[in-house]
Amino acid sequence: MLSSLEPIVVLSLVVGAVAAVILAGVLIALVVFTVRYRDPRPGLAPQIHGHRTLELAWTIAPLALLAIVFALSLVTLGQIGRGATFGSLEPPLRISVIGHQWWFEFRYPGGAVTANEAHIPAGVPIELELSSPDVIHDLWVPELGAKSDVVPGQTNVLRLFTARAGTFSGACAEFCGLEHAWMRVVVVAEPRADFDRWLTAQAAPPAVTAGPGADVFRGNVCVACHVIAGVGGTAVGPDLSHVGARRTLAGGVLANTADALRAWIADPQRYKPGALMPKVPLSDADLAALVAYLGSLK
Amino acid sequence: MTATAIVRRPGAFATAGVLRTVDHKDIGILYVLLGVAFLVIGGIEALLLRIQLATPNERVLDPSTYDQLFTMHGVTMIFLVAIPLLIGFANYVVPLQIGAEDVAFPRLNALSFWLTLFGGVLLYLSFVAGGAPDAGWFAYAPLTEPAHSVGNGMDWYIFGLAVSGAGTIIGAINLAVTILLMRCPGMVMGRAPLFTWMILVTSVLIIGAYPILTSALVMLLVDRQLGGRFFDPAGGGNATLWQHLFWSFGHPEVYIVALPAFGMISEIVPVFSGKPLFGYRFVAASGIAIGFLSFGVWAHHMFAVGLGDAENAFFSATSMLIAVPTGVKIFNWLATMYRGRIRLAMPMVFAIGFIATFVVGGLTGVSLAVVPLDLYTTDSYYVVGHLHYVLFGGTVLAVFAGLYYWFPKVTGRLLGHRLGLAHFWLTFAGLTLAFLPMHWLGIQGMPRRVWTYPPGLGWEWSNLVSTVGAFLMAAGVLILAVNVWRSVRAGEIAGDDPWDAYTLEWATPSPPPAYNFAAVPRVRGKRPLWDRKHPDRMDPP
Amino acid sequence: MSARAGGIALRRDPNLVGVALFIASESVFFLGVVIAYVTFREQGLATAKAQLDVGRTAIFSVLLFASSGTIGLAAARRSRAWLALTALLGVAFLAGQGLEYARLLGAGLRPGSELFGTTFFTLTGLHAVHVLVGLVLLATLLVTSGLRTGRAGHAAWEGIAMYWHFVDAVWVVVFSVVYLGTLIG
Ligand code: HEA
Ligand code: HEA
Ligand code: HEC
Ligand code: CUA
Ligand SMILES: [Cu+2]
Repeated sequence: MLSSLEPIVVLSLVVGAVAAVILAGVLIALVVFTVRYRDPRPGLAPQIHGHRTLELAWTIAPLALLAIVFALSLVTLGQIGRGATFGSLEPPLRISVIGHQWWFEFRYPGGAVTANEAHIPAGVPIELELSSPDVIHDLWVPELGAKSDVVPGQTNVLRLFTARAGTFSGACAEFCGLEHAWMRVVVVAEPRADFDRWLTAQAAPPAVTAGPGADVFRGNVCVACHVIAGVGGTAVGPDLSHVGARRTLAGGVLANTADALRAWIADPQRYKPGALMPKVPLSDADLAALVAYLGSLK
Repeated sequence: MTATAIVRRPGAFATAGVLRTVDHKDIGILYVLLGVAFLVIGGIEALLLRIQLATPNERVLDPSTYDQLFTMHGVTMIFLVAIPLLIGFANYVVPLQIGAEDVAFPRLNALSFWLTLFGGVLLYLSFVAGGAPDAGWFAYAPLTEPAHSVGNGMDWYIFGLAVSGAGTIIGAINLAVTILLMRCPGMVMGRAPLFTWMILVTSVLIIGAYPILTSALVMLLVDRQLGGRFFDPAGGGNATLWQHLFWSFGHPEVYIVALPAFGMISEIVPVFSGKPLFGYRFVAASGIAIGFLSFGVWAHHMFAVGLGDAENAFFSATSMLIAVPTGVKIFNWLATMYRGRIRLAMPMVFAIGFIATFVVGGLTGVSLAVVPLDLYTTDSYYVVGHLHYVLFGGTVLAVFAGLYYWFPKVTGRLLGHRLGLAHFWLTFAGLTLAFLPMHWLGIQGMPRRVWTYPPGLGWEWSNLVSTVGAFLMAAGVLILAVNVWRSVRAGEIAGDDPWDAYTLEWATPSPPPAYNFAAVPRVRGKRPLWDRKHPDRMDPP
Repeated sequence: MSARAGGIALRRDPNLVGVALFIASESVFFLGVVIAYVTFREQGLATAKAQLDVGRTAIFSVLLFASSGTIGLAAARRSRAWLALTALLGVAFLAGQGLEYARLLGAGLRPGSELFGTTFFTLTGLHAVHVLVGLVLLATLLVTSGLRTGRAGHAAWEGIAMYWHFVDAVWVVVFSVVYLGTLIG
């Protein structure tokens, strides 16, 4: 199987075909009757009051069609549902996903923690355990198929899979407040080897944990909300241990470049109004050092 | 004599009179005016949404304003447009159709109108009182819990919906009693017009569904004002309980705004096809079936919540089942047109448009009932596409059809045909351009309720087209306004029965006198007027 | 009212059918709240067992149930005496619930203190409000039926009786679910 999307596509083609036939039938009848039986013609129309067998026919026929569609949907559900393996022999990789207002946190076995960007090994079933500390979110990566709500007070499980490497863009699909729009995610599927390399890198503390940038981070409120392994901090916002390695910032609102990073830190509200990160007054020198340091955290 | 009636009607409408009126016809007109006013307000809100979404990274609106606008748009259109318009038509037409002099409780009738209006006022006061509700029309907890919602917009939501809801419940009780007890001699239920039938079913649905919303609102109020914990997981509460309660109201609600529309189409299609409704019994019965089923499908709005495969499968099956009775209606309408003498007057034009668009919306609905497909499309613009095809392409088009159909009865004057056609084509083109691309956007991965979106995902064109469509619909509404204005002042005089119709409302002057009928009508069949006009070929009783 | 067009159809008094439908909608309303209570029953059970006074509440409940009988007699005989007695029983019940509330509030239970407080006060409070409305109706009927104008008609007596029966019936459910519920499980 190519991906967890495949069974859904197949089913959608079947349902689409059924729907198209029905729609065509109804529209053709509608147009033909409108044109064909249009006034003026002499005399009264035949006063037909109904037809029992016809009624029966157009009750049974849809029933039958729907029964088939329903059965097929159960099959598909089995292919993408709880225990789905997607024809892969590999044991599933468990990743815990935490939806925050307004960013996704990914926690890997082995301690790696990232934000808004998840890497997965191609060819391995992924089992996401979804939870939320605040409101209901919903993780959706269209190219991987099904989505699942992220509901506070319960842990939902979502199985995804892709055989081919690639970078997929996704988002939070359940309205969760002001910046629901900028709660986007990037999922990077890569060959097992590359993935393992990435994972070990992410799990390890950054190479540099001291210097001017680190001092600015430690010396300002940043530490009150962010963690840089080896430097310290508290995990309120995204873990920044390897923020430099990410493609985007703050749920996709900015591409992760030095300029963007500076701009974001200088005034988050300008790019993501409502984001739960305040504007922190910093001297240009401090800001430069900080940006240089964070950017270096690959 | 119609002429005198026309001058009398505006006379009766001299404000002072209107404020005190309890005549079902005046109340009906008030309801419709209320619905139209809010259609414009909700529509302008929609236009603002569309302007913000026209291009990526647009900054015309800030997120907070956007959230308030889409919430108020949804709430307005459902509770202050669809419901008042349909209840308004029911108020005006049903007593006439069943040969009654008024509704069972004329004073209560006025009360329910004023409650609905007051509820709407409460909702809109929120804008000036520190922010409108901003959690979507179904207000999912815990986003609505004090911990996560700033301001008191949600309190206005609670009171607004509770008050207008009370009005709607009282109105439904009134209509139900009227239909059950006040039909004229000979009109057994088996001969009642389809519109009357559907209003009866709708009233029962309202009585069974709205109170659930009220109780959910009360619980939310307890949470917000008394520190309660019903829907707050942090306090041991349950976030999905709100969803179960809301949707066990919310799904019946969508049929509450659909069945009366079906009723209108079932009146109009036969009249303009010159034939009786094909399969009267089955069309009525299918309405009842839809009513029953609608209470057993609510969790199809919750497939992604994680209820479990068995639960999802059950609600998927019940949801698909609803397609069957709905199909029965569609097929019977088509069979009614078959071999008819079809007159393409404006009511029929809109009815045909209704069938075309509603079937699209219905079919996308069925695709959403297929769990694996819904897990992909839920909370995406595909759902927004579906809901507008059924609500605008369905309910609103039917209301337009009903407007062209009964306007002559209400005012004594016909609406213009040429302006009508312009209105129709602008609306039809507009809704197609605005709502069809939404399905594609959803499939491409665009979530709903986003205040803006990034470029480069291939969403630009569809969004732009959708915005253009929105303005076409607005233009359509403006043309309708012109049409009404001209017709009221100098429209062609309609006479009692301009459409050569079948039901009793056409057996009395246009507009009808306060007492409706000079003499209590007696009926012997489903089409009293047909029987009078064709004594030689009366309907079988 | 009954001289309406639908001569043949008007077998039943529209007012009473209206009241019946209103009661139907009210029942659905309570159904919603009861469902919520049952959903959280487990979480609240411990507190419920510890705090609720089943015995005394049972006594006051019997008074309310009895009032169903008295309103029946009152309506059947158009008797203001029975009507007054009904009202008295209703007041007694509310007094009883007042005592229960006072004790629970004294013990620190609040709608916001814990989940049980939320569900308990919401469910019983909403019922109490309905009893109160019922009492107001009884009072009005008591007065109007006293007036020589004979303004309180058949519908008033029967309709108010129906509503009062409903208020009792709801309490049968609430008492079973909330109070008797603590005896099992
Ligand atoms: C007028 C209102 C109306 C109507 C009539 C319908 C009709 C239907 N709806 Fe719709 N629905 C809404 C209003 C309506 N809906 C709204 C407002 C929402 C969004 C709420 C929100 O989230 O904001 C929604 C959302 C919604 C969802 C949830 C989507 C999601 O959030 O994930 C689902 C899922 O099952 C659904 C299903 C259906 C079905 C199966 C029908 C069926 O009744 C359709 C039946 C009709 C037909 C099928 C066409 C005619 C039939 C035939 C020609 C016979 C042959 C057909 C077959 C054999 C298939 N609807
Ligand atoms: C009967 C119900 C109904 C109707 C008629 C409409 C009508 C329209 N809706 Fe509505 N819509 C809903 C019910 C309805 N909607 C619901 C329930 C939701 C979900 C809300 C939620 O998620 O909580 C929704 C959500 C919704 C969204 C999604 C918002 C989001 O998810 O972020 C959008 C976006 O384009 C939209 C657009 C429109 C448009 C363009 C129209 C057009 O048809 C409007 C046509 C325009 C007019 C009728 C205006 C007429 C105005 C004049 C004549 C004055 C002229 C003035 C000027 C031109 C300035 N609607
Ligand atoms: C009050 C808490 C708080 C403080 C203080 C704070 N941040 Fe943040 N930060 C957040 C939150 C919350 C986010 C996520 C915002 C979003 O995406 O919605 C965030 C996001 C970020 C991001 C983007 C992370 C990513 O992977 O997208 C960076 C970089 C960042 N902060 C750096 C800083 C720096 C540097 C400072 C100090 C100058 C700082 N933050 C101060 C809470 C805070
Ligand atoms: Cu998180 Cu939407
Ligand atoms: Cu639904």
